Amino acid sequence: MTLALIAALPFLGALIAALSIPLGRSMTTLVAAACTATALVAILSYLPQILSGQVITWQLDWLPQLGLNAEFRLDGLSVLFAMLILGIGLLIQLYARFYLDPSDPFGRFMAFLMLFQGAMLGIVLSDNILLLLVFWEMTSLSSFLLIGYWNHLAVGRQGARMALAVTGAGGLSMIAGMMILGHVAGSYTLSDILSQREVIQASPLYLPALILILGGAFTKSAQFPFHFWLPHAMAAPTPVSAYLHSATMVKAGLFLMARLWPVLAGTEAWFLIVATTGLITMAFAAKVALFKDDLKAILAYSTVSHLGLITFLLGLGTEQAALAAVFHIICHATFKAALFMVAGIVDHEAHTRDIRLLGGLRRVMPVTFIVATLATLSMAGVPPLNGFLSKEMMLEEAAHTAWLGNSWLIPALATIAALLSVGYSLRFLAHGFLGQSRNDDTYSPHDPGFGLLASPALLAVLVVAIGLAPMPLAAWLVDSAAAAVTGGHPHAHIALWHGLESPALYMSLLAFGGGFMILGSYDRLRAMWDAFPRPEAKPIFDAGLNGMTAAARALTQGLHNGDLARNFAVAIAAMLALALYAFASGSHSAGTRAMAEVPFDAGSAWVVLTLATLAATVMHHRRLLSLLLVGIIGLILSAGFAYLSAPDLALTQITVEVVTVVLMLLALNFLPDTTPQESTSLRKLRDAVLAGAAGLAVAALAFALLTREAIFAPISAFHLAQSKPGAGGTNAVNTIIVDFRGFDTYGEIIVLGIAALLIYALVEGLLITKWRNEPDAADPDAGDAHPVMLRVATRLILPISMMVGVYLFLRGHNQPGGGFVAGLVFAIGLVMQYLASGIEWAEARQRFPFHGLIGAGVLIASATGLGSWAAGRPFLTSNYGYFHVPLVGEVELATAALFDLGVFLCVLGAVMLALNGIARLAKGSS
Amino acid sequence: MELLVAIAIGALTASGVYLMLRQRSFPVILGLSLLSYAVNLFIFAAGRLAPELPPIITKTAAGYTDPLPQALVLTAIVISFGMTAVLVIMAIGAFLTSGDDRVSTGDAEEEA
Amino acid sequence: MSHLIIAPILLPAVLAGVMVLLRGSLAVQRALSLLGTLALCAIAVRIAQEAGTPQAYFLGNWPAPFGIALLADRLSALMLMLTSGLALVVLIHVLSTDWDRRGKHFHTLFLFQLMGLNGAFLTADAFNLFVFFEVLLIASYGLMVHGGGRERLRAGVQYVAFNLLGSSLFLIALATIYSTTGTLNMADLAAKLPDLPADNTALVRVAAVLLMVVFAVKAAMVPLQFWLPATYANAPAPVAALFAVMTKVGAYALIRFGTLVFPTDLPATGTLIQSLMQPAALATMAVGAIGVLGSRDLPRLVAFSALGSMGTLLLAIAAFTPAATAAGLYYLVHSTLAMAALFLISDITPHRRDGLIAALYMAAAVAMAGMPPLSGFVGKLLVMDALRDNAPVAWSFILLSSLLTILGLARLGSGLFWKAEEPERALSRTAPFAPLASALCIAALGALTLGAGPVMAWATQTAAGLYAPTAYIEAIQLQGVNQ
Repeated sequence: MTLALIAALPFLGALIAALSIPLGRSMTTLVAAACTATALVAILSYLPQILSGQVITWQLDWLPQLGLNAEFRLDGLSVLFAMLILGIGLLIQLYARFYLDPSDPFGRFMAFLMLFQGAMLGIVLSDNILLLLVFWEMTSLSSFLLIGYWNHLAVGRQGARMALAVTGAGGLSMIAGMMILGHVAGSYTLSDILSQREVIQASPLYLPALILILGGAFTKSAQFPFHFWLPHAMAAPTPVSAYLHSATMVKAGLFLMARLWPVLAGTEAWFLIVATTGLITMAFAAKVALFKDDLKAILAYSTVSHLGLITFLLGLGTEQAALAAVFHIICHATFKAALFMVAGIVDHEAHTRDIRLLGGLRRVMPVTFIVATLATLSMAGVPPLNGFLSKEMMLEEAAHTAWLGNSWLIPALATIAALLSVGYSLRFLAHGFLGQSRNDDTYSPHDPGFGLLASPALLAVLVVAIGLAPMPLAAWLVDSAAAAVTGGHPHAHIALWHGLESPALYMSLLAFGGGFMILGSYDRLRAMWDAFPRPEAKPIFDAGLNGMTAAARALTQGLHNGDLARNFAVAIAAMLALALYAFASGSHSAGTRAMAEVPFDAGSAWVVLTLATLAATVMHHRRLLSLLLVGIIGLILSAGFAYLSAPDLALTQITVEVVTVVLMLLALNFLPDTTPQESTSLRKLRDAVLAGAAGLAVAALAFALLTREAIFAPISAFHLAQSKPGAGGTNAVNTIIVDFRGFDTYGEIIVLGIAALLIYALVEGLLITKWRNEPDAADPDAGDAHPVMLRVATRLILPISMMVGVYLFLRGHNQPGGGFVAGLVFAIGLVMQYLASGIEWAEARQRFPFHGLIGAGVLIASATGLGSWAAGRPFLTSNYGYFHVPLVGEVELATAALFDLGVFLCVLGAVMLALNGIARLAKGSS
Repeated sequence: MELLVAIAIGALTASGVYLMLRQRSFPVILGLSLLSYAVNLFIFAAGRLAPELPPIITKTAAGYTDPLPQALVLTAIVISFGMTAVLVIMAIGAFLTSGDDRVSTGDAEEEA
Repeated sequence: MSHLIIAPILLPAVLAGVMVLLRGSLAVQRALSLLGTLALCAIAVRIAQEAGTPQAYFLGNWPAPFGIALLADRLSALMLMLTSGLALVVLIHVLSTDWDRRGKHFHTLFLFQLMGLNGAFLTADAFNLFVFFEVLLIASYGLMVHGGGRERLRAGVQYVAFNLLGSSLFLIALATIYSTTGTLNMADLAAKLPDLPADNTALVRVAAVLLMVVFAVKAAMVPLQFWLPATYANAPAPVAALFAVMTKVGAYALIRFGTLVFPTDLPATGTLIQSLMQPAALATMAVGAIGVLGSRDLPRLVAFSALGSMGTLLLAIAAFTPAATAAGLYYLVHSTLAMAALFLISDITPHRRDGLIAALYMAAAVAMAGMPPLSGFVGKLLVMDALRDNAPVAWSFILLSSLLTILGLARLGSGLFWKAEEPERALSRTAPFAPLASALCIAALGALTLGAGPVMAWATQTAAGLYAPTAYIEAIQLQGVNQ
């Protein structure tokens, strides 16, 4: 079976487990276990090759551009870890089947567990460090799900989030580290990287890469000061704790350090960071474990301590230390998994894990007691169990190691750690299983059935067997794994007795003596411990995270406070600053274009315009007045356009102006008549300064443009030249909008159409919602709302405006005018009817489908454009011809005119639909 | 003349920006309208000033002003009209449903 | 000349026109909308197949630069495919949750929205780009306030007002460009600007910066991002999902103008845009990530995560190197889909929070936060790899914002799915297919992950084309003024 397939098996198991939920818990367990077992057998089938020193690889390109490929590798180290992950995984599956309550969603549990197993297996099988990262982060995610499995418990949720935060952060740090490492090594493939020791260690990027990668490893393996998440992860169901904290999750960091040992280890920095952290963690956590009361908490801190031990060994950077590390990984996995399961059994039977309430279980749970004793003594490092062997190897290494020239510090700390370890182990056993029961509850604990006991018992057998016969049972595995770690050919000589000259013997004896003394004087020690306040990690972490969240919230709420004026101010200030910077950093010279002179009437119009603008600003609180002033400004602009050779603009401006003012008047019908004075003087000053700056900047830019010629010949020369011969019209502006740039106009009428539909939809929505604010309903009977004169006049205006509209439409192609203006003129005529005669009157006579006009307009414009497809031309290609019509004379018919008809219809429909909508709203309000 | 046009553009911009910075919807809409006047005039000015030279092709014309910016202004006027209309109706809707014509939304986060 | 290129613009416009004209029943509208979107997907794929050499389309048969030209290159094709694919998913969600019953004209506005987006991605004319911006904006206003409601309307007023400012600026920038260079065609600008006299660059620089600001408003780049969170959080969820591609319009325009019109080797502007964009992109990432951590409800959180992901994208774009742009394009596709998925899920969670929804949320959150195994992780690595020159700053921002996003999403998710009571299962009865669209998004993200190799190959080719724009300019077949 290929490595990729093996790596995929647990994920497949997760899927099948999720799907097999309806089949019941045993079936789910069975299918999941079948996947795990298959993977295990497949791994074992490679064992002969691995033991003979081969490395199995498998690869498939995934993202070669980055160097992220599906590359897998099986060597001594990965075989060891794969066996632990899958082997203990099987035991956990069996145990969990009987541990979890029938009310727990078991299928979900198994699916999460298999996801986690797959992620772990992926880590150890990866031959590509980016792929390894993928699996690495997936362990964080799947462990999040597992730890939070009992999501009705607040501690479960919080523990899960804490684990995710710490290991997730570490994972991110590792991403950076791995990307540096791969860059330095020139490849992300592990096999390539492992041969680049000199290159990597010589690189100036070595230290940053090392620190970042260790950030990932230390958080995952709960090294001080990142250890605090692990005890809180104990909120998970015990099978999860047993799995994550004996053989898998926390071992991932160790695996990584072992995996990259050949290229990262052996430097001063490596030793100082890794060995020191390991040693501190080992001693510190052992001390904390001594004073915990929850069985699982004791085991959790013990785990941290043992992880520190292994980290310390890896940090030493010697071959012998690596052998010891590898061996202790095996030993720790066996006894710690067994112990967690024992803790679970006790919890299950005695309904508490508080060691102060336990005691005397030896009598009622004899089998469990035997298993617990063997595993605990192994944890304490008592011969002839396997924990003793690996601890001796550690002490031996520690005895020979100096720290920054100091030769006693490390041996002393290691001995203290071992001593504390004996202490908490003995307490675990003595207070938990020996003596009298301190539990007043009526539960009568007894040994559980085979399902719960089988797994820990099997592990206890291994504990003894490896302890008694380490060479035949474990040495070959240790050798092959250590060979993969060091790249050399180390041989382990594991023995119970190393002779009287071994310093480890004395250190061990010291540890045993001290451990018993601790047990003997536990109450006094405990009183001392309790008397001193000490920082608790969780409150600090929570306070930190909550503080961060609160700060983030405050910052975000402050920044995004919904104050439009401030947002405008910031945006405008940014725009001005950027434009000014761009201008100042470029080269510029004053314009040389001759300026036009100012005739008197233009000058006076300018004065009125400027004054009106100023007045509209100053008097904006009086809304109607300011609206009228804006109308006046629009009229002057229109006149200005006419004067400055833009008759089409003038026409459009004035018609749009009329419609806009009507619209705003209607709006004022709803909105308050005045704007309250609510700005402070300072605020007004700020706004005035900003407004002034913006005005100045735009004026300066406009002046600069007005006083110079274009650098390159403008494309409009073509439009002027081709207006008549090419587009068949003498009005160049019109030929541009309906022909040369007809596509712009196509978009423009659609904008207008959408605007109208949107207004219609909004009005429809508003008509059925409850209003907080009823506008002042005009009394329908009050006064002469619709004066007769006005009514008559407007009814006369309607046909006139229609005629004017048609006229403007027809001549548009050659003279100022066109479909847009025509549509507006038409619309104005109709709107007048509304204003003068009231909505009901007008509506009764104008049951007109304005929607249809918009649709028809868009479709006519589209069809005109599409018509040219028939001639094999692109969209909107125009065609025209001249026809003789009696009485009228020569008439030009151009497809552009048809397009303009679409524009006309769309504009008319849009304006009418929009105004009609607002009018309906007014009616709806009264 | 150029200077006057530039100043007019500047005045309209300044006035528009000032009104945009008010707290109520109506002045903000007016401000945006004034700003769009300024912008239309600006685009027009980008074609430079040429009095008495309308872009209507005749055999006798002494020359033509640049027609392209005018066409662009036409498009811009229409679009800004549509946008203004939408903004107006939305402002009305906001006022009717919330009883307040402030443009700021206060605490931006909805109650969960 | 193939009319295929204009089809993504005309098809939705004509369908919407027919809808307005006929004012048919909702069923008819739904059918037209669905068929149209499916056709757009097919058209986009077809265009992409031919986009290896840029294909031009000259409207009105006028030669460039005098008329308006459309141009489909790989970048346009990519955006078209993304838009139509996203539209399909959003439409499926709308149909399965009856969002289109909550107001008038949903499908019309929806199709016009697609027309505007497609037009913006296809046009080769700067002013025409403005027109399509307006089309897509006004349609988005309609969609944003679809269904009405107080908060939505108030947020809508701000959204419209802010964009009106942006549009005004756009026009000023375009007028400045036309006034100085005499042209509006993007390829023509690209061809002419290198000949700009060295003593006369200030105005073009101003225009370049103003254009960048306009696109930055669309892309929600700090300090022009204010409109985004309130708009996205208050818009109907499927509309917000569709808006995932709206910010990408800004990103698209920045890429297009930054590589074609104002490339970094253009003497007049040089690294002006690049140097301004980089700090702004970092700030965007920070504001987004902090906002994610500080949000209490899902829509707002997703909106801020959208902002944060725009920051990452903008940072990749701001490097203006082929590798970074290619990485950015991959990330663009990913972040659009991830954002859409989260928005669609946020529409379901108030009514239904069973295992399926939790799994979908988890997957979308994993993608959004850039965690493996989904495309966010791949995209993050690609962007980081491409930004190696600026690693200490860029990587720190990317990784830290990832962390904040993870924390925010985990906190909200655990509150939503673990802590809170499960709501009445009303939705599973009335809208049994509600999770379908979000599941499709997740599936697309999965495909994007597994197919990262081929996608990146395409993105790399796309980026290579952008930084060697000769093919683009040649396809436009520029004519001299006096011809």
